[in-house]
Amino acid sequence: MSTSAALPRRRVPSLGTVLHYWVAATVVVGMAFPLVWMLYSGFKTNQEIAAAPLALPAVWRWSHFAEAWQLGNLGRLYLNSLLVTGVSVTALVMIASLAAYAFARLRFRGRDSLFYLLLIGLLLPAQVVIIPLFFLLRDLQLLNSYWALILPYTSWPLALTIYLLRSYYLTLERELEDAARIDGANLFQTYAFVMFPLVRPALATVVILNLVNLWNELLFAMLFIQSEQLRTLPAGLLAFSGYYLIDYRLVFAALSITTVPILVVYFAFQRHVIAGLTTGALD
Amino acid sequence: MAFPSRARARSEVGFGSDRRPAGASRAARLEDAQKYLFVLPALVLFATFVLLPLASAVYYSFTVWDGLRTPEWVGWWNYVRAWNDSVHVRSYLNVGVYIAGTLVVEVAFGLLMAVLLASNRRGFGFMRGLFFSPMVLSMVAAGLLWTYVYDYRRGLLNEGLRAVGLGGWAHPWLSDGATAMLAVIVVSGWKYAGFYMIIFLAALRRIPQSLYEAAMLDGATPLQRFAHVTLPLLRETTIVAVLLCVTGGFAAFDLFFTMTNGGPFNATEIPTTWIVKQAFDRHNMGYGAALTVVMTVVVGVVSLAYLLATRRRHAVEY
Repeated sequence: MSTSAALPRRRVPSLGTVLHYWVAATVVVGMAFPLVWMLYSGFKTNQEIAAAPLALPAVWRWSHFAEAWQLGNLGRLYLNSLLVTGVSVTALVMIASLAAYAFARLRFRGRDSLFYLLLIGLLLPAQVVIIPLFFLLRDLQLLNSYWALILPYTSWPLALTIYLLRSYYLTLERELEDAARIDGANLFQTYAFVMFPLVRPALATVVILNLVNLWNELLFAMLFIQSEQLRTLPAGLLAFSGYYLIDYRLVFAALSITTVPILVVYFAFQRHVIAGLTTGALD
Repeated sequence: MAFPSRARARSEVGFGSDRRPAGASRAARLEDAQKYLFVLPALVLFATFVLLPLASAVYYSFTVWDGLRTPEWVGWWNYVRAWNDSVHVRSYLNVGVYIAGTLVVEVAFGLLMAVLLASNRRGFGFMRGLFFSPMVLSMVAAGLLWTYVYDYRRGLLNEGLRAVGLGGWAHPWLSDGATAMLAVIVVSGWKYAGFYMIIFLAALRRIPQSLYEAAMLDGATPLQRFAHVTLPLLRETTIVAVLLCVTGGFAAFDLFFTMTNGGPFNATEIPTTWIVKQAFDRHNMGYGAALTVVMTVVVGVVSLAYLLATRRRHAVEY
């Protein structure tokens, strides 16, 4: 019986096309598989994991996730991370945009020298200052507080963020700005009501870039916060894995709890996230 | 005059030139002062939490200091010690190997995947998204996950090898000094290849299709088209990608700290893990600071040399 005659005619894919799909899918699925393995391993008992590391769970034990959530205090870690990155990114972007506008559009003495000074920050890896920064925060009595992360998190990405926003402000037309000035708007009004709204696409990009980077930051987070109550996710997850190193199911469950929501958000806003994370490298 | 002077160019643009007639109004001067308010918050934060610590690091690097008592000035002693510290010297060899490895598994593999996934057919957009997805995970999560993938008895890798009859290849990947670095490099590639894939993809899309059509008319095979059309036109992108990969390699820390913390027996010790150990485990703050200064100089010199070298070749070519 021939059913193909009844179907609308479709071009038979060439061998090359099939091969292309097959090779691409194999590599991509192979690379995604560790995440899938992590996901279902969290449902298994430790005995199951030991007996057959690759097998699917016999019973899907959701309770492991509740257990990991409680033992790891993961809700608290999430809250801490949300608070620290939320405040830092907001402050960072506000402050950076203000400066970027001035460096792009206003004329004042020392502008270019100040901008070049700022660019030093583009070249420095953050590890370079951990020692003095630790003691600076200690002397300010800020260690073990949210401020120990918020202040460095707001300051360190400034150079790159200002650099990126400035190049965007440079592309904006001058007419609107001039019109606002003629209508009697002062500098801040011109900035806040005319220019800042125009820069929104670029803002979204730098917000995403900094959100992801700061959300995942480990070094400052583990050195400047010792209190378990104030830890952010990466530092807390690392500590958790240290306590429960051989309780495989719990580590897998905790890993899933901390990665799956991020991946869901990523796939929901994929285009924007990719644009955000590759910005600066694409110019 | 052929070109307008800088002062003239300034007075022509927009508002607020810095040259004002002698009797400038109070309002105008007030506005000049206001301009500094725009950059003030950024500069205060940058000076306090970036520049000041940077200057202190240089100062501490000339002292012996445990973080509690007063730092004691010792001149270049820490730098001499750094030169004679065999683990420190080795950490640079290790990070060199790591960077060389990441150039392959991140940049070269990313380029390969960009070519492979650059298709508008159904499903390829999803595959690109999936391939990029490890980029949004933390290094801690990636490192932890892969620590379990590499687990000798229960790991995905060894168990997978056993499943396909290659059980003899099963290996304690992370606890053997001969394979630990390779194992970390692979995770780096898993995490970052998607980033370079996107960068190369954007560059590929800028190559005019007509060039490929011309090459096909001339009878070029796909491989020849790649070697003689694609690669030369990706030169600029590759230069940037390599620079990002090299500077990023020097700054690597999280993955090493999570997976091996420099072990076994310093086989994966890199400058950053050694610095953190010196400063925060052994309380050698002065020595740790000296190591950070060395690292800053090395990263700066390497990046500068690279930029100069690629620029010179560029000049010769055209």
